[in-house]
Amino acid sequence: MTAIALPWAPTRSRTAVTERPADERDLVLAAQRGEREAFSELVRRHQRRAYAVARSIVTNHEDAEDAVQEAFLHAYKAIDRFLPDQAFGAWLHRIVANAALDATRRRKVRDADELPETVASPFRDPAEGGELRRRLKEALDTLPERQRSVIVLHDVEGYKHAEIGKMLDIPEGTARSDLHYARSHLRQILGAVRSGL
Amino acid sequence: MNDNEMKGPALVRDDDEVTSHLRAIVAPPVDDAYWNGLEQRIMARLERGREENRWWALTPRAYQFGLLAAGLTLIVASSVFLRERALERRMAYETVIETPTGQPQQVWARRGLVPPDRQATLRAVTDH
Repeated sequence: MTAIALPWAPTRSRTAVTERPADERDLVLAAQRGEREAFSELVRRHQRRAYAVARSIVTNHEDAEDAVQEAFLHAYKAIDRFLPDQAFGAWLHRIVANAALDATRRRKVRDADELPETVASPFRDPAEGGELRRRLKEALDTLPERQRSVIVLHDVEGYKHAEIGKMLDIPEGTARSDLHYARSHLRQILGAVRSGL
Repeated sequence: MNDNEMKGPALVRDDDEVTSHLRAIVAPPVDDAYWNGLEQRIMARLERGREENRWWALTPRAYQFGLLAAGLTLIVASSVFLRERALERRMAYETVIETPTGQPQQVWARRGLVPPDRQATLRAVTDH
């Protein structure tokens, strides 16, 4: 069977060594023309990073996934307004961050109104298990939203202060100080757990 | 000088430990099946959104038909109303114009009598 050499052919079906990864700009242009498969490829390429951004802001896996889905829907609707020469990832991550912040707000309202969910998620949260990790997870959840996002985006995902600032729409200096406070808070938890062990 | 050079070795070690735990806490699912499923869910939602948009895309057309239908209804209703009003006016006019002359004559005729003005005429003719 002969493979059709589309410039934005899905990575999953890419087998030939000669096929180079599709240019993201071409993908964006194709998506702007309404080509579904091009947008699907953008989803495939960016969903993991988008999840990481969302997970840095929300406190659980389910909300992170919701935020990712919402963000891609929003990106699809707004893709005509995106300039293809810009970095799609940076644009998308900002949308993801906003979607995640919305998810956090919705979660707060839900948690105030409803009883805790009893249905188990099929995805096992890695935060489960281990006293120290459990305490750190609790501490992370109680950190102010922005500090939590900054420490995860910086220390776990490796974003720079300036990139975090753009993503969360805060000055670079604020990202820096948020990181400092978040770290010292988590360090205290670490010390407290160690001394109790 | 980076962040770590500004901190002591103990703080660096603590931060590293916190970071490794954070990494585990927020770790994304590793199973490819999960990501394939997520992609499918996103694209399915997107498709549903497109269907809804298609439905909404018909709205301007439906809106035009609606406007046309409403316009026609208005025209028909107006003409019926005007005709009704004209009929009522004519009836009212006829009632006002015809009642004074018609009614007494009818009453005298119904009773088989001669009206008083005719009686006077008859008297004047017979007297001569």
